Amino acid sequence: MKHNSRNTTIQRTGPVSRPGTIYSLYIGLLGLVTLGFGCADILIWAGASNGFSWGILAISGDDFFRWAWGGVVMVCGGLLLLSGAAHAATSLHQAAKAAVGVILVWVIAGTDFLAMLCAAIPAKASSPAFLNTLDGFLAGFAPPYTPALVIFPFTLGLIRVFRSAVHR
Amino acid sequence: MTLRQPEAGPVSAAADAGGANAMFLSSDARWEMVDALAARTVSPGSYEPSLADVVGELTVRPLTGIPVALAALYAFWSIFTSFAGTLMTDGFMVKIFDGYWLPWLQSVWPDPASWHYFIFVGNPLADNSLEAFGVLTSGFFVSIGVVLPAVLIFYLTMTILEDSGYLPRLAVLMDTFLHKIGLHGYAIVPAILGLGCNVPAVTATRILETKKQRFIMMTLLALFIPCGAQLGIMMAVIPESVGIVFLCLLIGFGLFGFILSRLIPGENPEILVDVPAYHWPVKEYVAQKLWNRTKAFLREAIPFVLFGILLVNLLYLGGVIPALADLLEPVFVVWFGVPKETAGPLIAAFLRKDLAIAQLSNIPMTPYQLVASVVLVTIYFPCVATFVVMLREGWRELLASIAVLLTVVFIYGGMIHGIGILLGVA
Repeated sequence: MKHNSRNTTIQRTGPVSRPGTIYSLYIGLLGLVTLGFGCADILIWAGASNGFSWGILAISGDDFFRWAWGGVVMVCGGLLLLSGAAHAATSLHQAAKAAVGVILVWVIAGTDFLAMLCAAIPAKASSPAFLNTLDGFLAGFAPPYTPALVIFPFTLGLIRVFRSAVHR
Repeated sequence: MTLRQPEAGPVSAAADAGGANAMFLSSDARWEMVDALAARTVSPGSYEPSLADVVGELTVRPLTGIPVALAALYAFWSIFTSFAGTLMTDGFMVKIFDGYWLPWLQSVWPDPASWHYFIFVGNPLADNSLEAFGVLTSGFFVSIGVVLPAVLIFYLTMTILEDSGYLPRLAVLMDTFLHKIGLHGYAIVPAILGLGCNVPAVTATRILETKKQRFIMMTLLALFIPCGAQLGIMMAVIPESVGIVFLCLLIGFGLFGFILSRLIPGENPEILVDVPAYHWPVKEYVAQKLWNRTKAFLREAIPFVLFGILLVNLLYLGGVIPALADLLEPVFVVWFGVPKETAGPLIAAFLRKDLAIAQLSNIPMTPYQLVASVVLVTIYFPCVATFVVMLREGWRELLASIAVLLTVVFIYGGMIHGIGILLGVA
């Protein structure tokens, strides 16, 4: 199959500025953490540990779909962030690779959040009520959180990097 | 980039004169035609790609596109289980049907020992609607409590993927793999549609160009693609084994696709795909598509579920299913390694496969037998609605499909049993 899309091989690179280096370091660090969390998801699911909990972070590893498959997506996200880290602020192609890495983290974080939301709306099975109380609903969002949800706020800062890559 | 009106010339004349025959041009000839048309109509100018353009390009390259495809399928399944399973079915529907609807019917329906109680309410001792197996209990619970939320969220996510421009990229990405089984990348469209309902999926096989491709896709759809209703009910009945069932189906899809592509004569030509830029789906279009697809599905699903339970209960009352179970016992027990009582759900599967899986939950089985039975019900004969649509595509193709289907069920069912014995689980 051949696909017909616009040629997007143009790369715009320039001298690496100080903010550019900081952005690259930040993306690289985020990539390393994402990669580490992805590996941890898979290892804990595979039985390397009975589960991990530290502060607001928890990896239960009890479900193939969430921890093995989701872990692979996190690993890919981390690798893409690392691969796009160099010159992300000046090269559109590098920024795009980092953006795809961030999107993968957002997919996992978004679906984790949706799972919390869907579990928090209905009342418990033992309760005769249909909808949860306000306190019960809010308690559904209490820590601990999955690694993707913990990383999520730190990825929002990269929107600025992607914008700068577009405007330079 | 600027466009101007095309002038009449050899290329446009060939396109006009060719009419339907233009469909049979080779891909190289088509590319030449595209180049010739573009040379006459497009004036190149300066173009600066955007971040979205480069991201779009990355999603069709294998190294970066496969992780995105894995994430998209992850999101698809995760949204499906959270919304349909956790929120709607477990959160609300189970409470409504088991807490109110079933006890109310059991209290008002007269004479629990009568035939009409058995048909409409089901087992008088049942404490949940899934296992009661009456027309008004399991029938309504399966179609409204399980299938409706599953189909709704499936079609919503499917429409968003389609309208955002991701589906053509997935087609490009899957092309290499699908060519190995005699198809091309756009076969991913009926395959994904089949995860909602096999009826529109069989119709969608028309986007494939040759008879060979359409036959392979139609047969693989009927065999190895579980519909949204089945997925919903699988989540309710065997949530911990859905992954294993999917693995069995995926292996079967690849294995038998490969064999069919070698056995069936015919061509597997390349196609051209215009990959659009990513864009936000228009909510009015999404809503309209969602409504049309859900409406069509429900119009077909609810009567079949209710009629299916009615028929199966009548066959039980008439002693037909126990007799069939005795007759088919050697095949079921010795060859497939499942209980002979699976005969009942297999008859129900002809009407609705989701109904058959719900019925399997009432038969005492080991975890292996449950997984093997669910795989068997999935790859067994297509449901009657799919059967009718396949018939519309041609009776010869349908008969050939059925012959392949029965052979595959027999071989693959035996293979799974053999693997189970080797692993010590059967």
